[in-house]
Amino acid sequence: MISEEEIEHLKDLARVEFGKTETKKLAKDMGDILGYVDRLKEADVSVAPEMTRALEEVKNVFRKEDKEEEITHPTTDLIDAFPDKKSNYLRVQSIL
Amino acid sequence: MTIKEFHEALKNRKISAREVVISYLDEIKKKNSELNAYLEIFENDALGRAKEIDERIASGETPGELWGVPLAIKDNILIRGKIASAASKILENYVASYDAFVIEKLKKAGAIFLGRTNMDEFAMGSSTENSAYGPVKNPRDMSRVPGGSSGGSAAAVAGGLAMAALGSDTGGSIRQPAAFCGVVGLKPTYGAVSRSGLIAMASSLDQIGPIAQTVEDAEVLFNAIRGRDEMDATSVTWTPDVQVDIRRPLVKTIGVPEEYFGEGLAPGIKKNIDEAVKKLSQKYEIREITLPHTEYALSCYYIIMPAEVSSNMARFDGMRYGKRTDGDNLIETYKKSRGEGLGLEVRRRVLLGTYVLSAGYYDAYYSRAQRARALVAEDFKKAFEEVDAILAPTAPTLPFKIGEKSRDPLAMYLSDIYTIPANLAGVPALTLSSGAQLIAPHFEEKRLFELGKFLEQ
Repeated sequence: MISEEEIEHLKDLARVEFGKTETKKLAKDMGDILGYVDRLKEADVSVAPEMTRALEEVKNVFRKEDKEEEITHPTTDLIDAFPDKKSNYLRVQSIL
Repeated sequence: MTIKEFHEALKNRKISAREVVISYLDEIKKKNSELNAYLEIFENDALGRAKEIDERIASGETPGELWGVPLAIKDNILIRGKIASAASKILENYVASYDAFVIEKLKKAGAIFLGRTNMDEFAMGSSTENSAYGPVKNPRDMSRVPGGSSGGSAAAVAGGLAMAALGSDTGGSIRQPAAFCGVVGLKPTYGAVSRSGLIAMASSLDQIGPIAQTVEDAEVLFNAIRGRDEMDATSVTWTPDVQVDIRRPLVKTIGVPEEYFGEGLAPGIKKNIDEAVKKLSQKYEIREITLPHTEYALSCYYIIMPAEVSSNMARFDGMRYGKRTDGDNLIETYKKSRGEGLGLEVRRRVLLGTYVLSAGYYDAYYSRAQRARALVAEDFKKAFEEVDAILAPTAPTLPFKIGEKSRDPLAMYLSDIYTIPANLAGVPALTLSSGAQLIAPHFEEKRLFELGKFLEQ
């Protein structure tokens, strides 16, 4: 139901790796799961709207266009979390 | 000792916060190496906080309800300065740079954090076997799973390693482990508790909630953590309704949905629910009801949840924080960091989500699931026009053996079949130590507490 070719494509899209044996089992597991969720095709959803949030009352809110509030957390916490850095700069591989 | 009992003793100076914290730390030292409920213990912090509490009481202050209460916190809830790993390798050394809203509230309320608890990685699982740090054992039977994903929190409370705990519930992750460990767990109404500082799994479904020994304790904790937060646009203002006359019951009729008693429900669990129905019928009217779209809930969830997971997990790429594994180029580095940092179940859900959202499949899967979700929510809305609350089982089976379902993801997913509908509809649900689950309309948690306390008597 899901081909190995498709799995390879999905791995690229999701930017994630799987080992060889993992991939083999993955095709079976994804097939099982998708087979199960396919029962949704029997449901008559023609009258139902797409439900995009759990509560109707909840609306999107935007931050006011005010001057920036003072930063209360020291940035050192974030810099310390960098996996690789040079002085206070985050180091990554070249993008292009 | 429950929160209520401890509070009374503390207030009357019959006990000190310090001696209680020490007794919990001793229990943890004795039992945790086998249970694996905690990933880290905050011994010094906990003792220091307890000392402060005792000093304030000694100086004449009246303690608040949560002063000195030793809590266990699920490892996906941020505590500033502490590691929050979500039981994943990719966040093994990640130190939280801020407090989750619920942590901020609990700190102000005087609670003490004993440590962070083990869980299924990124809250994805129903047995706590998906932790990168080894499975948690069920304190009632060490050969069995404690449920999941908040298995560490539930096991800590059930095993006497914490007075109460916080967990998170996306498809049953508070309630199913509460049922498996024989404790109380509440999934609040979506929006009742801020998700700021909760490591996101599926944002339209996630809620933080309490795991406790009694319904009363769960209520105390829930009232302490609920409320609107600027940092979570989906959180809702809560104004305590002072007009409620507590002597008048909030619930008159209770619905029992036939769809929750089909094939696959273990006879032992059915017996427990029958007993609950019998007891409730002494005071309330019991009515059989129907939630006709229940059969689609699990399918719907296993499309919507991975879709949201795949987008939420995109941030874990080994770039700004977390573990990075270098490859030959940037794309390879992303793939390797995620391949090595994320466990199999997490990657499986990321891939599943990517699949259902990819071009050509959106209408067949995601759009259809969103519509089915509306039908599941509508079922509850209609039912609550007829009844004030719903009684159902939490899990279809008793706790299974460690390893029994870990090779078969679909079999594992089926253990959430009775808990998922409440997440899809956003309604609150309370699991009792008997495994009974009570469900109420949005923001009507007080009905759950009323019924829960009655059943506990």
